[in-house]
Amino acid sequence: MELFKRFKVVITLVLIVLILVVFRSTGINHFRNDAKKWAETSFRHANTIDPEQAKLLKGKSLIINLDKNTKLPLDIAGDLMDIPADSVLSRINIKTILNHNAGPVLLFSEEKGLSSRVWMILSQMGCKNLFILTSDTDNEVFKYKFRPDTMVN
Amino acid sequence: MNTRVKFSVGLLCLGFILALLPLSGSRSFNVKPQKLLSEMLGADTYLSVDQVAKFVISEDSSVQIIDLRSPEEFRAINIPGSINIPYSKLLDNDPSSILNNGKSRNIFYSNGDFDSNYTLAIARGLNMKNTFVMKGGLNEWFNTVMNSSFTGERISARENSLFETRSQAKKMFTALNSLPDSLKMKFIQSKHSAAKKLDGGCE
Repeated sequence: MELFKRFKVVITLVLIVLILVVFRSTGINHFRNDAKKWAETSFRHANTIDPEQAKLLKGKSLIINLDKNTKLPLDIAGDLMDIPADSVLSRINIKTILNHNAGPVLLFSEEKGLSSRVWMILSQMGCKNLFILTSDTDNEVFKYKFRPDTMVN
Repeated sequence: MNTRVKFSVGLLCLGFILALLPLSGSRSFNVKPQKLLSEMLGADTYLSVDQVAKFVISEDSSVQIIDLRSPEEFRAINIPGSINIPYSKLLDNDPSSILNNGKSRNIFYSNGDFDSNYTLAIARGLNMKNTFVMKGGLNEWFNTVMNSSFTGERISARENSLFETRSQAKKMFTALNSLPDSLKMKFIQSKHSAAKKLDGGCE
């Protein structure tokens, strides 16, 4: 007790710092992961799956429809949640997503740009087993043939 | 000030520094998630292929077009004036040296929509606001610009202007990409060194 009295200022300050560090380490209101590491699966496009591949994933899927006015056009077993992209980070939604440990989290949007942006944000926040559900998995394949002008040299 | 107080102040400062340091030595996003999300949902982060075609034909040096595909794909065909930074290599070095080089806009494109939008999220997450995406990528460029044709009898002034832009961009694209590989790369390098000289003032 005598020791506590002598060092109460120091102990109080250390406690404040400790609380700050714990808040920073566990809070969800900021990114704290290595950007490259958490983007890595997207480099190989291993994070995009079609409905057939989704059926083969282990565990119970959490399927998130990011579109406001579109019903999920795909038939996949799992928990379906309609979460418009603008509220995906609301306290309840982000906790549901980050705490889903029963299986993969699948993001769906008709607009591929939207699902890929949300994927990157959630992934950087530490969401594991996160995929983009799309029937257009070869979206990054060039689909045309360029005909060179033979008169140019 | 007695020793106890000095010690406390020192400890507090050290604690604050430690608390504010990034948790790993690696690069992580430095924008708040909610702020990043609202930026990402803005339609102003997208540019259409027609807007990009205008930049291409005007050879606007304030705009940097970035091709995120592999070097092989870039060598085969690319949008005139673009530079190649493969998406998978983007974070190998500090991207700010490329994206914060005084250009008012950095426009990303890949073949489709995924890689360019991942890159945009990364760039904006690293607080580089002058970054945009060409919607639809090179597939949309081909669909809209390279395959553009007019079949009607009358054409409005607006349609005519749009068609003219597409036609000129198509001509430039075809001319550049019809060159043999060696000449094409020389041409691209000469364009970039010329742009650097202009940016640097008189020489």
